This record gives sequence, C-alpha cells and structure tokens, in this order.
Amino acid sequence: MSVRAPTARFGDRFSGRLGFLGLTLIYVLLVAACLGTLAHEDELSLGRNPLANLVKTASEFAHPSFLDVWFGNPNLEYKSDDGSVLRVENRQEVEADYLAGLGRATWTTLRIATLGSLLGALLALPLAVLTARNLAAPKPLAWLAKGVLDSARAIHTLVFGLVLVGIVGLGPTAGILAIGLHSMGTYGKLFAEAIESLDMAAIDAVRSVGATPGQVFFNAVWPSVLPQFVSSHLYVWEFNIRDSTILGLIGAGGLGLLITEATSLFQWGRLSTVLIVIVLMVSAFDAMSRRIRQALS
Amino acid sequence: MSEIAIHLQQVCCIAEGRALLDVGALNIGHGERVAIVGHNGAGKSTLLRLLSGFMPAAHGQVDVLGHDLTGSPSAKELRTLRCEVGQIHQGLHLVGRLSARENVLIGSLGRVTGWRSWVRHFPADEIARADAALHSVGLLARATTRADRLSGGERQKVAIARLLVQQPKLILADEPTAALDPAAAGEVCHLLAQSARHATLISIVHNPSLLPLLADRVIGLKNGRIAFDLPIATVDDQKLTNLYRPDEATPTVPWPIAAANPNQALLT
Repeated sequence: MSVRAPTARFGDRFSGRLGFLGLTLIYVLLVAACLGTLAHEDELSLGRNPLANLVKTASEFAHPSFLDVWFGNPNLEYKSDDGSVLRVENRQEVEADYLAGLGRATWTTLRIATLGSLLGALLALPLAVLTARNLAAPKPLAWLAKGVLDSARAIHTLVFGLVLVGIVGLGPTAGILAIGLHSMGTYGKLFAEAIESLDMAAIDAVRSVGATPGQVFFNAVWPSVLPQFVSSHLYVWEFNIRDSTILGLIGAGGLGLLITEATSLFQWGRLSTVLIVIVLMVSAFDAMSRRIRQALS
Repeated sequence: MSEIAIHLQQVCCIAEGRALLDVGALNIGHGERVAIVGHNGAGKSTLLRLLSGFMPAAHGQVDVLGHDLTGSPSAKELRTLRCEVGQIHQGLHLVGRLSARENVLIGSLGRVTGWRSWVRHFPADEIARADAALHSVGLLARATTRADRLSGGERQKVAIARLLVQQPKLILADEPTAALDPAAAGEVCHLLAQSARHATLISIVHNPSLLPLLADRVIGLKNGRIAFDLPIATVDDQKLTNLYRPDEATPTVPWPIAAANPNQALLT
C-alpha cells in the first residue's frame, strides 16, 4: 500500500515562516508600487502653501462660532460706503437661531440612524438565518442571501443614498433607506455569526426533557442568541450615527446639510460647532452602548 | 424488578454504513441500576441515545417505558417519552446563559406548557420544587448564578437537581463524572444514586471504583455487542481488563505504554 502525503491546500502554502516572509514581501511591494506610481504622476504634492493654510484653518477652527459670538462683540454693523450705519444685527440672536437649527438637524440625523438601523436589522434577520451554516438552509437560497448581504456591504451608504435620492427624492427617507440597505450587510454577517456560535449542548439539554420546539426555541435558542443580537444592533447603530452625519452631503437632511453649508461658505467657525456636536453625540452614544453591551456579555 | 422498563430485541444501529450497536436481546426491569462499561466507540453512548430516542434503530424492536420506538416514532411520541427520561451528560448539558434555578426548572417543561414556558414564568409550586431540589444538592445559595459561571461539579449538581424536578422514571447518565476531580466525582455519584432511588438508572462509567455506587448490574460492550451482562459482585478487574483490551482482529494503536499497562485505559 503506497502512502502519499496529502497535497497542500492553497492556504497551507502561506503557513510557516517562509510563507509569512513571502506575504510580507508582496505587501511591501504593493505599498512601494502605490507610492511610486503616485509620485511618478506628481500627485503627492501638499499644495502651494500647506503650512500657512494649516495655521489659518486651525486658528479659525479654534474659534467655534457659538463661543466667538458669546465672548466677542455681539453687534454686527452693516455700514454704507460713507460710514452711515445701515443696519445693526445682533449676532447672538443669529447664532441662537443657528444653534436651534443645529439641534433640529441633530435630531434628524439621530432619527435617520435609528430608523435606518432598525430597518437594516429587520431586513438582515431572515437573510442571516438563510446564511448561517449550522442551520443548513437550501444551498441556492443560502448563496442568494449571501450574495445580497455581500453586495449590500460592498456598496457604500453614500452610493445607496445618491441612487435613492433619485428614486424617493430629497429628505430623510432616502437617508433611512440608504442606512438600512448598507447596514443590512453588516447586520447579516454579525447575526449569522451569532447563530453559528449557538450552544448546541444547551439545545440538546432542553430537548432531552421532552420540550416542544417552541419551548426549545424560547428556553435555549433565544437566551443564547438575543444578547448577541442586541449587542451587534447597538454596535451597528452606533456606527450608523457616525455614518448618517455625512448623508446630508447628498441631500438626505440632517447634520451633513449644515456641514456642506459651512464648508461652501468657508465658515470654519460654524463647521467647528457642528463637529463638536457630532463628537459629543457619538461619544455619548458610544459610552452608553458600551455599558449596555458589557452588561449583556 | 417487577416489570420491564426496557426491552431490546435484535436491535441494530447504523451510521455512515457502520454498525454502531448490535444487540441480540436486552431487558432491564423497573428500578434496576445498570452500569455500561466498554472502550471508546464500543456503542455505549449510542445505546443511551437509542433509549432516549435521539438515535433511530435501523431494525429490531425497541421498547422503552412502554413506548414503542421501533421504526420512526412520531415527534410527539418521542416528546412524551423524553418527559419520563432524565439525562445527565458530561456537565455540558445546561443552558449557559440561564441561571441555575432556571436550568433546574427546565425539568418541569413537560408539566408547564403554553406561553408560561416560553417566557419562563413558572408557577410558584414548580419554583418551590426547584429550590428544594437545589437545596438538596447544596446549591440553593447559587440559585441565581448563571450556569456558565458555575464550576464543573456545581454544573453537574444543577443537572441532578433538574432530574429531581423532572422526576423521570428512567435516568440515563453518560459519563457524569468525566470532567470532575475524584472528590467531586464521588459526591456527584452519591447524589445521582440518591435521586435515582425511585427510578431506573443506566450509567456509563469508566472508573471501576465508582461502579458499586451506581450499579447492581454491569453490562460490558465491545464493538457494539454485549460482551457480558453480570451482577456487580461477579465483575472483577480481569473481566474489565479483557473488555478494554483491543481485539486481535482490530488494528491496535502502536503505543508501547498502553500495551505495557492495559489498566491505564480504565483510568481515563
């Protein structure tokens, strides 16, 4: 009887020290190629006056509009050429209006992220059940579901948004649908992993006392899957709050609209205000969701 | 040994073209305490899975607690059987995310039906019964601890408390002490024997010193067949050694230590 070593699989070729060295070499070559070609095309310049621009932008960013208005001169006088005052504007009132608008925009962004996340989770649930390997759904259906999830993940929220604005028009609806469709891919993957890591011993334990399928589901499957579902939901939701701040760029409303406005008018002080709000909102949600996820583990 | 709890006749279990179990005839009476011994792959677990309806018999007659498992029994038939069969495995058969008390209450799922069992809103008398069961295994203080935070011995005691709530007529214990240190193994065996006072107990045991705790009758399995079926008093080390020694016909593992000391296998 002749004994033959099993032929090496594709993955085996990269195992071992030599294989790792080879992979590192390929990576270094790729980085060198990226840098080299960009330099060759003369695309690696930093502009004409990077240092001065940096200082100017940074100093404007250092004066967020609301602080500037509060501690600076509240009255802005519009004068004609001969020096007579045409109109006096109370900058504090103008800024208060802007801040109220900012609050409404933040609320819109939160609504887009929340509803979009929920939509994505609901869409992903059946697809995750189809793709989870341990549930062994019919092969063609599993492939189809996996294809849908993979393409949803591959297409950026902004791209979905651009297409959807053309279909359902400007406004939060397009944003909600865009967030939902893109995060469906992420949800599907996370949910499927939660189902795949299901504790089969727990299911057998409940089945072995003669439980009905409903009892098995609620006493063994649900308790082990639910915390993971909630945890991934919070994670993606948090991600979507960040993501939805940019959707205003394409006309889906919310904070992104204020960002476009501020950048196109070069109002770096206002942009600074908007960014402070975004950072505060995202880190508050982040801290909250981390607490909840820790409590669930 | 008033009436027959288990009756097997010409039973054969086949998986992937291989006969896992081939039993000519086996009768076990109500209230008997039986230990099953044998090497790995001898068909011990297959026999227990056959008796709890998790493994179908390819042919032959299987009768457990008056339920006819011959052919392919309906799911409902299997469920009513499993309500009366308590099972203990190697300490892994708990729902890790539920508390010790909720795991014990799983034993009552046969009696509690409908939405209450879905939301785990158990009646007060079942909760009282579960707490009494936890108390009798000495774990009442840990009732609200999640099962996956318990030690191996504690998990096994929770499984025994679940048996006490389930009150089965037949108890199947598949290596209940495999993951435990000797002291915990002895304690778990005592508790198991106590909880099985009014039931038939069939256990798979590897450690010869635990045999007398759990059995009056020992069935030795070898390559899926019954090698001996004797009262515990007549089973000696020589019989066990012969049972665990590989056949000349089957290829032996080229392992000089195992060959030099056949008793080694008994301790694992």
